[in-house]
Amino acid sequence: MHSHITNAFVVGLSLAKCRIVLTTYAALRKRKPYILLCYIGVTSTLSLSAKTELPIPDAAYEVLSNYCLDCHDEAEMKGDVNLDPISVDWGQKDNRDLWEKAHYVAKEGFMPPAKKRQPNEKERATLVRWLDGKLLENTPIGGTPPRRLSADEYRSTIRSLFDLPDYELPLGFPKDSEFHGFNNVGEGLVLSPPLMEAYTKVAELVADTVYPPARKEPRSTTRTAGPNDMVLSFSAGKIVDDSLLLVSRGHEIFRSCSWPSRMEVMSSGTYRITVRAAKHKPTWGGPMKLEIRARELSASDRSRADIFRLLKVMDVPSTEPTTITFEAELYEGQTLLFRWMNADMAHDYAKFAKHMEEWFEKDPRWLAAWQHTVFPNGDLSKIRTSVIRGRSGWEFLNKAFNDPNLDMSRATMDDELTVKFLELANSNTGMFNFADILCHYYFTNGPALEFHQVTIEGPLKTVDGPREMLAKKLQKRFTGTRIPGQSDEAFTQDILERFLPQAFRRPVDQETIETYLNIAKRRWVQGGDFDAAMHLLIRNILISPRFIYRLLSPGELDDYDLASRLSYFLTQAPPDKKLLDSAKKGKLSDPQILRREALRLLPQKPTDAMVQSFTSQWLDTNLLPEIMPDPVFKFSEAEITIAEEEVEHFFTEILTKNLPMTDFIDPDFHYTTLAFAKDNYQYPRAEKAAMKSSSMGSESELRKLPLDRGGRYGGLLSQSAVMTATANGVDTQPVLRGVWVLENILGMPPPPPPKNVPALTPDTRGANTPRELLAAHTSEDSCATCHVRIDPVGFVLENFDPVGNWREEWPKTGIPIDPTGTLPDGTSIKDVTELKSWLVDHIDFFSLCLSEKLVTYATGRVPNFAERKEIETIVHQNREKGNGFQDLILALITSETFRTK
Amino acid sequence: MRTQTNLTGVSTIGRRQFLRAAGALIALPTLESIAAPIAQAATSTAGAKNLVSIGAYLGWHQNAFFPKEVGKGYHLPTTLAPLADYQNDFTVFSGLDHRAPNGHGAWSNFLCGNTPNTYSMDQIVADQIGQKSRFPSLQLTAGTGEGSKAMSFTKQGMGLPMIQRPSVFYKQLFMSESDRARMEYMLRSGRSAIDLVLDDATRLKKSVPQSDGDKLEEYFDSMRSVEKRMERQISQINDPLPTTDYKLPDSDPITPNLLMEAEVLMYDLMALAIETESSRVLSFFIDGLGQVFSFDGQPLRSGYHGLSHHGNDPEMIRDLVSIESAHMVCLSGFLGQLKEKKRPNGKSLLDETIILVGTGMGDASRHSNANLPTLVAGGGFNHGSHIAIDQRKPDAPLLGDLYISLMQRLGVETNEFSNASHNMNQFFS
Repeated sequence: MHSHITNAFVVGLSLAKCRIVLTTYAALRKRKPYILLCYIGVTSTLSLSAKTELPIPDAAYEVLSNYCLDCHDEAEMKGDVNLDPISVDWGQKDNRDLWEKAHYVAKEGFMPPAKKRQPNEKERATLVRWLDGKLLENTPIGGTPPRRLSADEYRSTIRSLFDLPDYELPLGFPKDSEFHGFNNVGEGLVLSPPLMEAYTKVAELVADTVYPPARKEPRSTTRTAGPNDMVLSFSAGKIVDDSLLLVSRGHEIFRSCSWPSRMEVMSSGTYRITVRAAKHKPTWGGPMKLEIRARELSASDRSRADIFRLLKVMDVPSTEPTTITFEAELYEGQTLLFRWMNADMAHDYAKFAKHMEEWFEKDPRWLAAWQHTVFPNGDLSKIRTSVIRGRSGWEFLNKAFNDPNLDMSRATMDDELTVKFLELANSNTGMFNFADILCHYYFTNGPALEFHQVTIEGPLKTVDGPREMLAKKLQKRFTGTRIPGQSDEAFTQDILERFLPQAFRRPVDQETIETYLNIAKRRWVQGGDFDAAMHLLIRNILISPRFIYRLLSPGELDDYDLASRLSYFLTQAPPDKKLLDSAKKGKLSDPQILRREALRLLPQKPTDAMVQSFTSQWLDTNLLPEIMPDPVFKFSEAEITIAEEEVEHFFTEILTKNLPMTDFIDPDFHYTTLAFAKDNYQYPRAEKAAMKSSSMGSESELRKLPLDRGGRYGGLLSQSAVMTATANGVDTQPVLRGVWVLENILGMPPPPPPKNVPALTPDTRGANTPRELLAAHTSEDSCATCHVRIDPVGFVLENFDPVGNWREEWPKTGIPIDPTGTLPDGTSIKDVTELKSWLVDHIDFFSLCLSEKLVTYATGRVPNFAERKEIETIVHQNREKGNGFQDLILALITSETFRTK
Repeated sequence: MRTQTNLTGVSTIGRRQFLRAAGALIALPTLESIAAPIAQAATSTAGAKNLVSIGAYLGWHQNAFFPKEVGKGYHLPTTLAPLADYQNDFTVFSGLDHRAPNGHGAWSNFLCGNTPNTYSMDQIVADQIGQKSRFPSLQLTAGTGEGSKAMSFTKQGMGLPMIQRPSVFYKQLFMSESDRARMEYMLRSGRSAIDLVLDDATRLKKSVPQSDGDKLEEYFDSMRSVEKRMERQISQINDPLPTTDYKLPDSDPITPNLLMEAEVLMYDLMALAIETESSRVLSFFIDGLGQVFSFDGQPLRSGYHGLSHHGNDPEMIRDLVSIESAHMVCLSGFLGQLKEKKRPNGKSLLDETIILVGTGMGDASRHSNANLPTLVAGGGFNHGSHIAIDQRKPDAPLLGDLYISLMQRLGVETNEFSNASHNMNQFFS
């Protein structure tokens, strides 16, 4: 570790330089000019190594010996910790790590354990002060190992390098392991053979996208599909008297469209298409219109019809079959898609409900039949859902309609069954099922569009399909334009000189360009053409360590590494042209320019990659998709999605508006949907706001809602996403929530529990309250030290159920929840509002915690002792200046910690 | 990708004759007539060599799947009726599950156990015994739908992509000359360029501090492994590949209404994959969504998914079960092929192949993932029974315990899977 750095750099450093370094080192912590730092960062450990081996001073040793060494000497080594060396070599990272831990537990009072004799305040301070000084003096800033791109960064790098904005990694691509809470930390980003195989595969796929393998010579064919060769899904179509009836229009193709089963075009080209269709039991005179589109056969059947290219709208004027023939381009993998454009009924909430209403007004008997089908007992609360699907539902309905004893007594428009029915018809719960039944009414009674036959002949001529068109575009971007008369080799040299610096995100020397030029030349010698060489180059550039890794130079980041760090931090993508230009001009190390560029790249939208990636990892909301809340909570996938989005909007709002850090804890706004706020946050202004909602958009739209400060709701500690992520979907576990808050809000992670302690899973549904169960913790001495910190913050959040709804009693037992507790500093809190106000008063804990998370995410390393000191200073200074979140991020970006490898 | 061919000596009678499958249910000539030594691949303790896991997205209606009687000689329930000829070649289990969460989202508990989307049983087996065949494992699906994106999950919990087109599966098994030539080109050109990339990487390594260079060793180690794999493939590029007379239809039946046709083709190809020892571990996902099937010219009362929400309506159930029986007709063709095809030692492919049929959804009507209908065929087990587990008993075995038995049979030395740590060997004796 330390010796490696020493050995690598000892050569070539003049003694004189070492001396300079030594004299400036003490000043280092006070922000010296940047230029010097690049030597210092590397050499400081070397320069000091002779003097870093020091005995433990007597005063500190006395404290250690009285309170620590009983368990942590060479003989006992409890927890593998020995605090009794003859001397400490502070130059060794292992030693610093050990004493840093000792410093933390001593300072925070986690050690000695409660049952042991405790040092008095003065003694504790002696130990802490000694360690504080030694650690600060001896911990060099920086030290991130070479960081390979995380899977997310790798994907966005490919997107940006090749201009493939929708590029997705293939299914099965290895995922990154989480390290210190994030998936982009240097130490956790291991490169393994399976991952290298995946890189190789992706490189081949990308090369194939830019230079696709040669097309096979197409064979011209004529294929015909009749009604029985068509796909029938849900109630989209039905075969009646040897023709296929279409009766409805809708967005999703599987609800209202049909397409041939075996008519997939294998080669992009122009085809001659012949379609025969007729009107079926028309109720009006004008032509029926048949939409003919080109769909990818492999596209999801849930796709919206209008994403597929419209080829033709066919007029069908008569009940006698009409035939049209036209030519159109169809691309590889496509087939035709048919939809009746001007059908009477639509699979669309509002239109469908209106359609039903008008029908019922004209024909109460049908209304009565529907009432009987959907509410068989005439009971609003008993809705028959399962069996009223498709033809099955139609048979119920038709039977009811034809039943001479059909109860007509409630077939009025103002009956509550009618009102409820129309409400269902205008919602997800009822519309799809009802519409699928109604289709059968039309299959039986018309009007319908009769589809008879389609023929596809061709290809009449070959054309470029999307694959070829994309490839041509990408090739042009990759190679640029050849100077007339330029040789392949000279052209390739130009391409590499331009492309390699983009791919490797920094200037590339001539030797590297030679290496890649040789790959191309070898290919030509072996008989490959120009394109084959380009294909091979792409495959190999994408497996170079210069592409896969960033951060390969030591010390203070040079402008290019700084550009990459900034860009991947704020955008999860490689530096854009503007940023690289700044780096090229050597300007990025100027804090003003760095700040300006950071401001330019800061996320603006909740959907920006940084917001989603950072918040989901920091707040563990990436666990949400796997948590399936118990149905009793009525918290389905839709609610989970809103909960996630809410966090992203909240974070973005505070960031972009530079709101104070305290708004994370106790803001004067929600950022959610009105419906969600009503259902989950007892939103007090819901009624008032609802009245204005027509001007504010729909209830299901995320927006900023005003909130009074100081309440139960508002801020991270009450948001559904956080409360759900810290529970398990069924019950709450105060200890888990408590630890979570300590780790992610307060930044005081408790040490891991001793190995011999059995996991205690409180059963909040049992006869005992969790508090009673956990009493064991606080009475057991070895547990008490940590649990006096964990339990109060855990219990105060017990008022939030596993999805974040307020509750006053523990479920099942009905015992009132007792959320009171005492914080480590002796403050009593009676509920979550008091926890929040304590946090607002002590906001630096939270600011420091979030800053450390941001720095970890940005630099790929957990900040060390000296770095945390720098961050602390930044947090304090930022508070003095209004405590804006955006200001804080910008200050962190210009810190020495951020700018050092 | 091809690592090894196991058809040693096959060329003595011509590979073209070796495999011939004219249709779904037409048996291949038995292998006994080919006097070719086929390497004893499985270890002596393993009673079976291959694993085929088949999962139906919308489940199997329990009342039509679970026999009324327990033990041997039970009356075949409706869904299983198409398997009548093979009643003594399989065992039906009721009362087993993984105690996993409910809902469509947790479907992958089928092979993953208690925690969906984790290391699946078939991949554990593939990592242990699959590595020696051309394809350590193959993931296949029939039909299109909205089902899970993956049924098999790597040790890391990554879902594996599935082959949906029979023509793609076919091309993997029986490469055409142009496919082979392209593969050879990719390997040779890739292999030769890597040297230059590594030269550059070495130069890079020399320019960075040693601690960073140490981290870069991960890169060099991984590249060496890629190189080795390429070299192995290059050295085998001219080894004979299995060939077949089997013909696929012109277009892939991937539209949802052609699900059964796709199943038949996939089963045919799976039988060929097993016969040619191309892979030992296959998984097959039967998707399903809104498609309306017609049987004997009669369209069913609702789409597949709609029927699965039958709400205990007898007519809806009858239609749902008719789809599920149709799946079993396809399966029966597969069992038939495996039973008829014999290795030179007289053992049928069915004897050496464990076929697990199940689902991650116990009752699609309620989205419940408890009591998963499960059937195990082949693998040389003592079959013919319905084994009913009473879940209320405290020591009731879990589905994972059955999986442990299957894995042990395949030579995987393990005593645990997911939340299970026993086995069900006693039920097969």
